[in-house]
Amino acid sequence: MEVEVFALLKDYFDKKFIVPARLSDIESLKQHLLDLNPAAEQVLSSCRFAVEDEFVDHNYQLKENDYICIIPPSSGG
Amino acid sequence: MTTSVSSLPAVEVSTYISDQPLDLVGLLAGAHHPLAGAVVLFSGDVRDNNLGKQVAYLEYEARATMAAKMIAEILDEAKRKWNLNIAVAQHRVGKVAVGESAVVVITATPHRREAYEANRYIIDRIKHEVPIWKCEFFTDGTKKWGGNCNCHELTGDPHKHIYEVEKETNQ
Repeated sequence: MEVEVFALLKDYFDKKFIVPARLSDIESLKQHLLDLNPAAEQVLSSCRFAVEDEFVDHNYQLKENDYICIIPPSSGG
Repeated sequence: MTTSVSSLPAVEVSTYISDQPLDLVGLLAGAHHPLAGAVVLFSGDVRDNNLGKQVAYLEYEARATMAAKMIAEILDEAKRKWNLNIAVAQHRVGKVAVGESAVVVITATPHRREAYEANRYIIDRIKHEVPIWKCEFFTDGTKKWGGNCNCHELTGDPHKHIYEVEKETNQ
């Protein structure tokens, strides 16, 4: 599973990185991210997760080849 | 570049997301329709100041495939809701200079009321929901991500935008 982050999340994580396949859902992925960088807690709490370009909720069951985008609040325009 | 990651019809990303200066005149020229007596063009331009600081330039980042798909969906929804003859929207990514357009929305309808209403609806949703992010670079050398959608600070809910709360309050 590969993760891509955007905007201010890049101050906390690499732009793209591989996460362990043992992570079963978004909630466990979130915990993994906090273990990588505890300082990201507040930023992550306002983010949404998307798999294959669709938003998913925290119960979403991750699959082996999922491409996960972590989406901070939008600030377009 | 075409995306086919979703079950929805693929959209041409470059129609909605551009790393080149937006061609407002060209887009407007293509937005006339024999049934439409009203054409509204909104351009979101880069200001030279924000939060009391001088802005040097902005940089926009997007999850382009997802953003394009979402803008296409927003335009489709607005088209149905207001019976628009034409609905166009394009957002810039990369470095955008002061005075340049970062986003354009064009709506065309028989009468002006619907064109204005739909245009406002489309730009609000693009600004608040579509995965596009602004980074402000100030002349003092500092930078700041975000800046437009701080709705969660006002609504207390990271997934609730201020206009959704306003709507609920008005009902």
